[in-house]
Amino acid sequence: MNVNFNNRDPVYLQIVRYFKEKIAIGELEPGQEIPSRRELANRMKVNPNTAQRAYKEMEEQGLIYTEKNHPSKITTDNKILGQVRTELLVEAVDQFVTSVRSINVPVEELLDLVKEKYTENSEKEV
Amino acid sequence: MIEVKGVEKRYGLKKILKGVSFTANKGEITCLIGINGVGKTTILKAIMALTPFQKGQILIDGKPIDKHSFEKITFIPDSLTMLPNMTINEAMEFMKDFYTCWNQKRANELLGFFRLDPSNRISSLSKGNTAKVNLLLGLALDVDYVLMDEPFSGIDLFSREEIANVFTSHLIENRGVIITTHEIGDIEHLLDKVVLLDDGLVTKEFSAEEAREKEGKSVIDVMREVYQK
Repeated sequence: MNVNFNNRDPVYLQIVRYFKEKIAIGELEPGQEIPSRRELANRMKVNPNTAQRAYKEMEEQGLIYTEKNHPSKITTDNKILGQVRTELLVEAVDQFVTSVRSINVPVEELLDLVKEKYTENSEKEV
Repeated sequence: MIEVKGVEKRYGLKKILKGVSFTANKGEITCLIGINGVGKTTILKAIMALTPFQKGQILIDGKPIDKHSFEKITFIPDSLTMLPNMTINEAMEFMKDFYTCWNQKRANELLGFFRLDPSNRISSLSKGNTAKVNLLLGLALDVDYVLMDEPFSGIDLFSREEIANVFTSHLIENRGVIITTHEIGDIEHLLDKVVLLDDGLVTKEFSAEEAREKEGKSVIDVMREVYQK
């Protein structure tokens, strides 16, 4: 759990984001137990109050749930899990679109290039 | 809660504190930041009643400090005050004799945490390890508040990290901590509250997360604004 925090975004939101990414790529599975607040604070080297706040935020968003006297777990709600994936995807695409728009390329040309790069990269990784 | 209210302090004719006010909550880490000579150590000493002050008031959980307070609050100075020919074991023994709130179990845990050998003589320790012994002796007390003066100054990177790790562990949890430093980088993510001092006054008191959330500023950004006007 090595996270490089930036200093300008609230740390608790950076932790929430870290969990969302892990959920989206399937590293954290639905129903999986997550570390206690104290353990997380220690592993991520953040203030325990911040870890507490991150967990509260995730609980409010329905990403995790806690039953009495049990460790918190990742939600099994497929709707929320789907939302996480969509959210991260939309965010990344938004960023991409913003930076590409300034170059003023026709959308077809752009899409072809995206397709090419996307498949090229995934072949390399395989 | 530790409340510092309008504290003024002179050394001779020199006014060091010109009406300092701030609060530090239990369960939070509060950091006093300021350049050398701004009065950080003086504030900690004033809280501990180690130095008299001319005006103002300091309350700990709503009460002025008295002899019983020293079982509730401890001060870890910037250098170790134990006799150099003592071993770490003897220094721990010494603390046990003076404080009923000494917690040997926690002391042993800290020894392991810092990888210190208790049979070592204090005079034989490196600077980093001396600083760790200093922290150990303070943190092994079952107190509600810990004041630390410059725990990171002159310490190598890895020892600094080890010391910073203490802040995220149960050894600190639920206690109120006031720490002074000018090396904010290492511990920026650990702080709850920051108190900036300049010229004997508090120039800004803010929550680190709030500055990030509401203004998108890091602690260092805020410091730049305040000090480089």
